[in-house]
Amino acid sequence: MDNLFVALFEILSFGAIVVLVVLGLGIIASMMGIFNFAQGEFVLLGAYVTYIVHSSGLPVWIGMAAAPFVVGALGFVLERSIVRRFYAAPIVAMLGTYALGLIIREIVRGLIGGLYLSVPEPLGGSVNIGTMHFSSWRLVIILITALVMIGSYLLLARTAFGLRIRASLENPALARASGISTNAIYGATFAFGAALAGLAGALIVPVFSLFADLGLRFLIQGFVAVMVGGVGSFAGPVAGAGVIGTLAAALPWIIPPVIADVLVFVLAIIFIKFRPQGLISGKGV
Amino acid sequence: MSSERSHLNRRRFLSNFAFASTAIATGVGSWVVRPDWANAAGPPIKVGIATDLTGPIGYAGNADANVAKMVVKEINDSGGLLGRPLELFIEDTASNESVAVGNVRKLIQRDKVDLVLGGITSSMRNAIKDVIVARGKTLYIYPQLYEGKECTPYLFCTGPTPAQQCDEFIPWLIKNGGKRFALPSANYVWPHTLNVYARKVIEANGGEVVFEEYYPLDQIDFSATVNRVISNKVDVVFNTVIPPGVGPFFKQLYEAGFLKNGGRLSCVYYDENTLNINQAAEIEGLASCLDYFKALTPEDPFSAKLHAAYEKQFPGTFLFAAGSAATGTYRGLKLWEAAVKEAGKIDRDGVAAALDHAKIAEGPGGPAEMVPGKRHCKMKMYTAVAKGGNYEIVARSAGLVDPKEC
Repeated sequence: MDNLFVALFEILSFGAIVVLVVLGLGIIASMMGIFNFAQGEFVLLGAYVTYIVHSSGLPVWIGMAAAPFVVGALGFVLERSIVRRFYAAPIVAMLGTYALGLIIREIVRGLIGGLYLSVPEPLGGSVNIGTMHFSSWRLVIILITALVMIGSYLLLARTAFGLRIRASLENPALARASGISTNAIYGATFAFGAALAGLAGALIVPVFSLFADLGLRFLIQGFVAVMVGGVGSFAGPVAGAGVIGTLAAALPWIIPPVIADVLVFVLAIIFIKFRPQGLISGKGV
Repeated sequence: MSSERSHLNRRRFLSNFAFASTAIATGVGSWVVRPDWANAAGPPIKVGIATDLTGPIGYAGNADANVAKMVVKEINDSGGLLGRPLELFIEDTASNESVAVGNVRKLIQRDKVDLVLGGITSSMRNAIKDVIVARGKTLYIYPQLYEGKECTPYLFCTGPTPAQQCDEFIPWLIKNGGKRFALPSANYVWPHTLNVYARKVIEANGGEVVFEEYYPLDQIDFSATVNRVISNKVDVVFNTVIPPGVGPFFKQLYEAGFLKNGGRLSCVYYDENTLNINQAAEIEGLASCLDYFKALTPEDPFSAKLHAAYEKQFPGTFLFAAGSAATGTYRGLKLWEAAVKEAGKIDRDGVAAALDHAKIAEGPGGPAEMVPGKRHCKMKMYTAVAKGGNYEIVARSAGLVDPKEC
């Protein structure tokens, strides 16, 4: 019984981490129609900002609070200067953003000397119930993921800004004719997606430590999650991330981990074969 | 102005072409360190270093290249070898086997080096050894701790083998940890082969292996493994999971109360570089067994001198550490120096015959000597335990430990 609770908690917490990482990716893919291959490096940058703030002697949580703003601002600059030139050609956008990601990754690798560096969590230790130990920081991540999910949903579904984003996605020409600056909207959406990645990086760096390939690890999982969930809506990628994260964490409990790793992808491919539109189809929120 | 710049005339084309072809010919990842003396008895002896200067294990490769620069400079400053200076050629193997083969070929065919030292991972060694030894007819020294079983002629290994890392270490773990072992491992050749040996030693000393399990190299969530460790009441985790997985794995073990309940972590590649992956408390008591730790410097004057010289020449992030093959690189070059001196020439067979029984009286962690006919190196081994973010030496081998290979 204890074992079951521990297993459920661990699976839930890893699922939450994957959802958190995929959220920004999903918003950019669904609301702008391009796959941002630099998303993993935005996660890495969020982690790096947290590390820099921590190593300069300030409390870790300041770094975590600063990370989404720094990464969001950088995302905005990159969108204005580079990414917006790719909207006409989504395939080229993949390559372009991949190149951006590669540049960011190798710069960070140079800056940290290719090492693996630990960043302490602001809230350490574990919550003990009987003989069971639950990591406090993982609890915090689950909580923040839920809050960010709700916040993002409300922003897209309930605010005037969200309405403009959705209008720009569904019919850019009509949106422009109605006086919405789709250019500005795209910039803001990209920055928002980047900021979410930055937050994800900041929150997960105490769990996984800082290393240059931190974002790369989640990129593939993130894309599979978006494919499984379905592009076009907010809920799709989130649902996909939940499924992939849960599967990736749950399968090693029952079958050898090497097989589990492959099986997640095999299951995803089979699923997409029979339901190409993903779990949740259709545009909107 | 801008139209002038974009206008391509013959002279500009030629100068660009010359620049580009030079860049291609020398390669972007090549460095040559030339000796600066003119009173030589002959042309320079060429030493080739092929190591991972870039990519995920760049931190180790850069340390190895630094050690090579230091040793070559020291030899040149004291008069060179056979009255000839050493010239150092460094090529990047880029943590990528296909890039590496091309760059190592440059060392062999273009630079015609007399020795290649390098390669860090076993897959790298396997990729480049044929280029060096068989087709290249050149001597090859492999400096990293590894899984053993490399018995190619003209290939000498100067890092610790499983026997050197397990024979004294595992009995210590049983005494200072317990009898129930778990072997969580990354799924590649080193952990698989090392575990076969480790299991034999564990069982021979009255311990038991509770589980042995392999994970994808990039797995970073280990909740299922941690649960298995806790619920099976494992005493010693003999870890061969590598970065990036090892950090989260140790952290999850710590959070699950493994250390608090008296569990012992152990990991035979852990050196000063890997200490920073986790916070000190998460790996308190972690035991490692290597040929050198910085903690030896207070008791061993030669190691202290060496370490200080390295840090003076190369301050920064690339540490002089055993797990990066830095000590194996030092040992390899010094053993080769001794062999060249004895042979009195630099042809491959002559040097190999002398290297077969070469000895050095001083090195990082103590003396070292080749076991004749085995092409592996006897050396002292040390067991160290992480305490508050540093290592403390807790056990040392009585003398030189036999590699038991080939």
